[in-house]
Amino acid sequence: MASSTFFFSDLLSGERLGWVGETLRASRATGHLNTTVFLTGDALYSLVDARTRDSWRALAERDGIRIVADGDELELHGLQGPVASGSPWVTVAGSQDEAPFWQSLVSSLAVAWKGTKEAGFLLCEGPYMSRVTVYMVRFLSAVQAGSLSPELYTYLDGVHALHNGQRPSEFENIGRAIAAISASAVQAGRDPWFAACSRCATARGYYQMNPGTGFCEPASAIEEIAIRPLKEILSRFSGNLPVVSSASGDVVPEALQKDRVPRLVIFIARPPYCAEWTFGGLSLALAAAMGGIPATVVFIEDGVYALHGSHQVPANDKVFNVQEMIAVTTDVPDLEYFVHGPSLEGRGVDLSPGFPMIPRIGNEDLARELLKAEREGAASRLIFF
Amino acid sequence: MTEPMDFTELTCTNLMIKLKILLNKLPQGDRVAFFATREQVDNTCSPFSGQGYQVSWDQEAENRYLVRLGK
Repeated sequence: MASSTFFFSDLLSGERLGWVGETLRASRATGHLNTTVFLTGDALYSLVDARTRDSWRALAERDGIRIVADGDELELHGLQGPVASGSPWVTVAGSQDEAPFWQSLVSSLAVAWKGTKEAGFLLCEGPYMSRVTVYMVRFLSAVQAGSLSPELYTYLDGVHALHNGQRPSEFENIGRAIAAISASAVQAGRDPWFAACSRCATARGYYQMNPGTGFCEPASAIEEIAIRPLKEILSRFSGNLPVVSSASGDVVPEALQKDRVPRLVIFIARPPYCAEWTFGGLSLALAAAMGGIPATVVFIEDGVYALHGSHQVPANDKVFNVQEMIAVTTDVPDLEYFVHGPSLEGRGVDLSPGFPMIPRIGNEDLARELLKAEREGAASRLIFF
Repeated sequence: MTEPMDFTELTCTNLMIKLKILLNKLPQGDRVAFFATREQVDNTCSPFSGQGYQVSWDQEAENRYLVRLGK
């Protein structure tokens, strides 16, 4: 028996809902999985969109999956009416309700991750351009209110959250909100752990070399977020605490063995080069595996393009060739690669001949992979990149 | 002789990947030279000596080392 909590704040495509649904259905058939899905932000459109709403209905009515929607965000998006009248199988939780959305999410995670004293958010998006930073603040505020220690790991563009002097005229001040959560946690006698990836911070100018010492120092950064190497941030992932991201999930066995390190499952779901998602997801998985955290990388949806064709970096370009990156790391212990067959087939593309060592899996195989750690008493964290 | 590459801003994981890619393309007997930090030398460069590669380094500044890695 295990419980699984998903959190989606990004737009949910019919494709994603299709494979997530089939995988959950296959998981439930083999492993007695109690699943709750929390939806906020753009993910709420999937409750009314004709391309996805019937999939949710089937998951809720036929498979017993509990779906909780953020009532405040439904109002903001103009979806309160249609969801209330057309989707009785959705639990709507607003901030004024008895069980508000964010408190329900934290509570669900705290029950699954029995005895946890912390809960974290992996932030990969920057403030103001992305509302995910607001969801991060809501989540960590609920963590703090729920008597847990808040943890924040800023990664990729998420490190922009540490810029000092933020002064948005129309939006919630994210820098100030982070400082307030940190102060509130300290005042309550807790130990907030807020960090930014040093590679990402260096790339964006928040961690600059002091020519006198030869070491990097924070620049234009708020004090509440410490800049740390990725492996130090990932050392937190060795512990049994829930970690949420803009699109994420977990599988936690009822008989969770606290001495087991949770498996990290990274879904590479975007094309490889126009944004840093693929490189960031691969780097995170590799660093995790090299730090003793078992990691699984699944190339899925548009992420399969990382393994299609033969990538050549032009001489005048400076970018990691992700295919070279994958090819030289297939021998890393504790790291597994898979490619999602239906994603390849749906796009009419195939795996490059250079990757015969990467197994092609379907949704039932994926369900088995997701339950692999659970059978050994360990939890799995699922993060979408 | 090409200028040594500056890898001081790579994470240890990404440096490991970069070095594995470079070593894959390196002819037998050749070597690559690059700048690394103390942490990179300890965590990433040194372990290559246990995998049959020749690794040596010289300190160039407070936290800057010129590393040579060959096979």
